[in-house]
Amino acid sequence: MANQAEGSPRKRKAIDGEIGMEASVTHTKQAAVAAEEALTGLNPKDGAGAGASSCWEVLPEEFEWSCYRDDDTLHQQAAIREEAIKIPYLGDREPLSALATEFELGSPILKEKIRLLGEQYVGLRRTRGDGNCFYRSFMFAYLEHILETQDTAEVERIVKNVEQCKQTLQSLGYTEFTYEDFFGIFMEQLESVLQGKETSISMEELLSRSRDQLVSDYVVMFFRFVTSAEIRKRADFFEPFIAGLTNTSVDQFCKSSVEPMGEECDHVHIIALSDALGVAIRVVYLDRSSCEKGPLTVNHHDFIPTAAAESSTAAVISTKCGEPFITLLYRPGHYDILYRR
Amino acid sequence: MLDTSRVQKELAEGNRDTETSGVSIALHDGADLTHLSGTITGPVGTPYEGGVFVIDIRLPSGYPFEPPKMQFVTRVWHPNISSQNGAICLDILKDQWSPALTLKTALLSLQALLSAPAPDDPQDAVVAQQYLRDYQKFVGTARHWTETFAKSASVGMDEKVKKLVEMGFPEDAVRAVLEATKGDENMALEKLCSG
Repeated sequence: MANQAEGSPRKRKAIDGEIGMEASVTHTKQAAVAAEEALTGLNPKDGAGAGASSCWEVLPEEFEWSCYRDDDTLHQQAAIREEAIKIPYLGDREPLSALATEFELGSPILKEKIRLLGEQYVGLRRTRGDGNCFYRSFMFAYLEHILETQDTAEVERIVKNVEQCKQTLQSLGYTEFTYEDFFGIFMEQLESVLQGKETSISMEELLSRSRDQLVSDYVVMFFRFVTSAEIRKRADFFEPFIAGLTNTSVDQFCKSSVEPMGEECDHVHIIALSDALGVAIRVVYLDRSSCEKGPLTVNHHDFIPTAAAESSTAAVISTKCGEPFITLLYRPGHYDILYRR
Repeated sequence: MLDTSRVQKELAEGNRDTETSGVSIALHDGADLTHLSGTITGPVGTPYEGGVFVIDIRLPSGYPFEPPKMQFVTRVWHPNISSQNGAICLDILKDQWSPALTLKTALLSLQALLSAPAPDDPQDAVVAQQYLRDYQKFVGTARHWTETFAKSASVGMDEKVKKLVEMGFPEDAVRAVLEATKGDENMALEKLCSG
């Protein structure tokens, strides 16, 4: 679903007629997304980091039109990127009313959904739409939760899962130095949100670290490694989903849609990350969908780690009152963090 | 800030099994960790077989988040590599780069690119057109370029030429003689002196 709403499908191959068609499809999609944006006033879409790369030196005359289109795409992507950089990796926590203000002139359906959202949620925290927003939202929401609850049992639990992921990468044949630093930096953040140590940090410090490119990107990449490892480990399980989504192999999917920075997160990625770390995630969908009959509702989906994903060791699902403690707000192509009442 | 400890590890990793992988990586001038030089052997069963291709590698400060900048130093006739300046069109060196990749895996990908050209997504449109329209001619040209520029005798040809030109011989003659002696500097010098 996220994939369909993606603002910048990669278009690299456009030289013969058949693939030229792909180019025009790309444009139709972008036009649709642009129209959607205009209608709803949504933030710039994610995927700005996923730049198409055109690298022709000399273009034969008959292909000039396709060159123009590629240029066009690049311009649009550059514009999206510029827009995205104006927003910090993670914004300040805002009251939910900020969302209402943003959509004041939006569709009645959206306005009603935001009102309904207000019954359960009080605030949101925006993230930069650079294709890493899901991972960054997850990072902050998780670490903030640990910092607030000081739930050492949860930390002990996740540390075991992280260790397991490391072993998976090892057995998959990843070179250790490619992932060890990323794991190291995540573990550092995890330990520092637990209070009472010399290295403990405050909420302000957590926010400033999450805005620091080095820390933030390293943790995002850590989650990408974890996600990729889980998908590869359970390739048989994920294969049909991936085939339906992109028509590529599991290996190719991991290489092109999981491991590069700036590649957006789809359902498949969320399932894998949630399963691998054993952390439940709620995603609340804010879009203009509605039912003909019955009252308007805001849909959500809970990603609950499956026991099948866990090894034989006891699978403890981290939920609070049966509900995931991480809640993200999804608007087509973008994730932010939501705060419950 | 470049992650220097990672670069050190990459150097070691890149040369761990040169014999079997056909890939090697070295510092370009001994001290600068941001400027490296890689080599790959031409894949067997391709027009590049028997050649050794030198690749200039520059690491941006954002490495490994940003891709390494790679360019062929050895001239090569291939749809996805510029015949003029060695620029490479390969997704993993651009938007498909990931910190999960290494210099070694990037060089192995270049080697794979030599085996499997993608003429529909060209860097050099002239080569790509030839590949699509007259494949036999393409193979012939690619093989000739391999013979001329990538065989061990011709590696470092430019430096040899420069040396002999500095001695006072005309460049045309130097190139012709070096080609005739298959890159043997001493024989070339002898010929030039006697000629």
